[in-house]
Amino acid sequence: MIGKIMRTMSWLLLLPAVTGVFGCSGGSTPAGPITVHFWQFWEADVVGPILTRFEAENPGIKVQMKQLTWQNGREEILAAVAANTAPDLCELGSTWFGRFAADGALADISAETDSLRARLRQWEAAMHNGRVYGVPWVLGTRAVFYNKRLFREAGLNPDLSPPDTWPRLMEAASKIHKPDAGTYGFGRNSGERYVLFKKFMPLAWSNGGDVLSADGLQSVFNSTENLEALKFWLSLKSVSLTERQDQIDQAFKQERIGIIQSGAWLFKTLPTDAPKLEYGVCRMPRPDGNNRVNRSFGGGEILVIFKNSPRREAALKLAAFLARGDNALALCRVAKSVQPAAVGMENDDYYQANPGERTFVEQLTTAVFPPNDPSWQEMENAVENWVEKAMFEKVTAEKALEEADQEIVALLHARIP
Amino acid sequence: MSSRMVGARDRGHWLIVIGLSIGLVTMLLPLVWMVGTSLKAVGAGLGGLSDLLPWPVSLKNYRDILASGPFGRYFLNSAVVAIVVVAGNILFSAMVGYAFARRRFVGKGPLWWGLLATLMVPKQVTMIPIYVLTAKLHLINTYTALIAPFLVDAFNVFLMRSYIEQLPHDLEEAARVDGASEWRIFFNVVFPLTRPALAVVGINTFLVNWNNFLYPLILTNSDSMRTLPVGLALYAQGENSVSWGHLMAGSCLSTLPILVVFVIFQRHIIEGITAGAGK
Amino acid sequence: MHTPGRHGPSTLVFLLPWLLTFGIFALYPLADSFWVSFTRYNPIQGPPVFIGLDNYARLLRDPIFWTSLRNTLIFVVGTIPLTTVGALLVALALNRHLPMKALFRAAWFMPTIVSMVVISLVFKNFYSPFGFLNAILSLLGLPGHAWLQDPDTALGAIMLMDVWAAVGYYAVIFLAGLQAIPAELYEAAALDGGSGWRKHWHITLPLLRSTMLFILVINTIRSFQVFIEIFVMTRGGPLDSTLTTVYYLYDRAFNSFELGYASALAWALFAVTLGASLVYVRVLKDRGAA
Repeated sequence: MIGKIMRTMSWLLLLPAVTGVFGCSGGSTPAGPITVHFWQFWEADVVGPILTRFEAENPGIKVQMKQLTWQNGREEILAAVAANTAPDLCELGSTWFGRFAADGALADISAETDSLRARLRQWEAAMHNGRVYGVPWVLGTRAVFYNKRLFREAGLNPDLSPPDTWPRLMEAASKIHKPDAGTYGFGRNSGERYVLFKKFMPLAWSNGGDVLSADGLQSVFNSTENLEALKFWLSLKSVSLTERQDQIDQAFKQERIGIIQSGAWLFKTLPTDAPKLEYGVCRMPRPDGNNRVNRSFGGGEILVIFKNSPRREAALKLAAFLARGDNALALCRVAKSVQPAAVGMENDDYYQANPGERTFVEQLTTAVFPPNDPSWQEMENAVENWVEKAMFEKVTAEKALEEADQEIVALLHARIP
Repeated sequence: MSSRMVGARDRGHWLIVIGLSIGLVTMLLPLVWMVGTSLKAVGAGLGGLSDLLPWPVSLKNYRDILASGPFGRYFLNSAVVAIVVVAGNILFSAMVGYAFARRRFVGKGPLWWGLLATLMVPKQVTMIPIYVLTAKLHLINTYTALIAPFLVDAFNVFLMRSYIEQLPHDLEEAARVDGASEWRIFFNVVFPLTRPALAVVGINTFLVNWNNFLYPLILTNSDSMRTLPVGLALYAQGENSVSWGHLMAGSCLSTLPILVVFVIFQRHIIEGITAGAGK
Repeated sequence: MHTPGRHGPSTLVFLLPWLLTFGIFALYPLADSFWVSFTRYNPIQGPPVFIGLDNYARLLRDPIFWTSLRNTLIFVVGTIPLTTVGALLVALALNRHLPMKALFRAAWFMPTIVSMVVISLVFKNFYSPFGFLNAILSLLGLPGHAWLQDPDTALGAIMLMDVWAAVGYYAVIFLAGLQAIPAELYEAAALDGGSGWRKHWHITLPLLRSTMLFILVINTIRSFQVFIEIFVMTRGGPLDSTLTTVYYLYDRAFNSFELGYASALAWALFAVTLGASLVYVRVLKDRGAA
């Protein structure tokens, strides 16, 4: 009996040795055409066809693609960099790009990208110290979604007065807000990192405020403009559901919330999750006043080439191909959450036919892209921590700005050797 | 048999059954919700109580998932890895646990604390060294990388040592007096007695390995080497949104084999010692 | 006690397969992370740079580390007694001859078979303002609550979920441990007229000491490393009320690329875990001697 078990087990233990032979074949590089290793975040069935077209147009180049996960992509990339097995071409979020560029991990492709300059925008997101280290691929921003039915029920005309100014937002949210009946006016973010910033700062930017001075050397966070924005954000408490983004999105789908700030990813899930929901999309709210612009947070996905890549030329070719208007649009049409970095896409038939998504493309033109400062994530943390403390009434608005400002100043100072 | 045991002695017997039943509902409710949500084509995960009993029932989420990637391949990879790792752990953790429980050898103390240390240091900081090592050994994207590091789990060694320590010594002593070799004592006396614990090792190892996500994610690159949890995560979880219907359908699919393994092994937990000693 | 095996070489054979994988895939990474904890290491910039005890000095002065350690201790102290006692009671109940015992056993084990990522996602949905839990509460006429959004309830809500998910798992291990207790002992106790509870107190518990120690140590190690729940459900918020040490060191490692500091945090946590485990060993050993 035992002997039989032992025999079975020894066979099972031999299995990896046998199957390992199959396994190895996946990783080896065939001789002949150049194989570009490309890591990116989008689903294989979206990107796959684009890569197939690239290989057809460039017979000498094969692409080996790895799909990263949004949740753990950081670990995957960092481990590969540590082991010196980083891919040739890699997609990096713009919040990440600054660190990688500043730490010298990326190839300087300023000269090679000259010809692309006019065809793509938001190169600032792909630059560090005046040099280009990446190709802008797709961009993303945030805008306002609102429930037209709830507007009408509150006696408002959703088409005439979209909530894209502070007074209109406040008025609509107050009229819709009936928490006892389970209906909320506005969705206010809290309780998670790297999100609150993208929802609060648009108010500050629209009011003329910012985090750093234009040259990026000084903190301008403790300003009247930011204080007004924070006070407005705090005053929304009485007409809001304060929750994490996924809960706010969920409440919007359940028609329990009138107005939310969210991303274009909703276009993908709204048709299946809430097919009956009648909604409008407008730009982020700005204060009343002639010289005030509806500003939002802008981010992007940058294609970078790692410095040690021996296949720089082929990788660059692939990057240019992916960022090309038609190819980027093919991705965006399925992914929904982002828009092409290629210039002039707002006039494409697709965006003309989809006004909600077109609003995002338009919002991108006035979006603020955070600077590629190596300590940017820490600065974002400082802003979020103190704004959140003010939201939970642990500190006053004035104190929150003052404390966050000091932390940002300390981060700027720490860099001076 | 059971009627003899359920005597007047156990006045609390039905109380226990009722208590267990209440617990059973509590344990199953979230899982029923999972199944319910996976069968909803519209508004999955948004319905509160109505997610429990979806109507109309739809298999769309399951069809979408199976069409989204080579799930047959993912399943095969997961199965090969899990079976080998379970077999390795059942054999090796019993051997090592026995050595720690019953033998004296040089460096036993330090080795034991070394073993515990591997459990006590968060794997977030050992992940990168393991990846670097695997890359240096040219094992990235191979079955070996998915199997070798998990072949003798410290948890299982610890469990086996605890269990064997608890066993009475008499049988081993008797065999030793009869002149049996150390191997025979282990295989013919100790190994059969540890069946309940080995069943736990089997269940636990299969479970941990089948659901293992981070290492397979990092240690594999190509679609043909991906395992089930990795394939599911790549499909159902976007940057900012979760597709509840797809996620739950995927979870139900990947959970089913674990349930089967549990049902197979759990019998041995209870019946182990009587069957082993009766022979 | 028993005679130690004199067949020296055969012990090595017993240990060999483990020594190999242990040395390569466990000891080496462990030693590496220990070395890295004395360095400044950002893989993007290059190899680790030795900085002595700087990381450990920084850690002692880092208020966020202490917050995270406090939250972690609350988690450990709050969940372990509930899980352990719950699991033991369930195991004792499941060890009887019950109707449908296979069903009961499978049902209690069910939460364990679902991966923690999925459980966390499910409970995130449950605890949401319009989720399942509040729907049940409103059916009972009770007010709802934003469980994960309130700094006073977020950690507790996660702890409750963890107990739910772990009770069945440890119950099965207890159940296996119960099988090693010879039935004759109970029969003798029954002849002496021992009641159900006294029987368990005097026979079951002392004989389960080894299993108990195993469960306490394993559960403590795992609870000190609580991470996935936080990563999926709250990311440490609101107001750092659910920030645990492992989540914090993850954040340092993979958001700030401070692998040296993250390793120091990991080894500090190791020291705390080791201390707790030694306490268990001491307490349970003393019981055994008495």
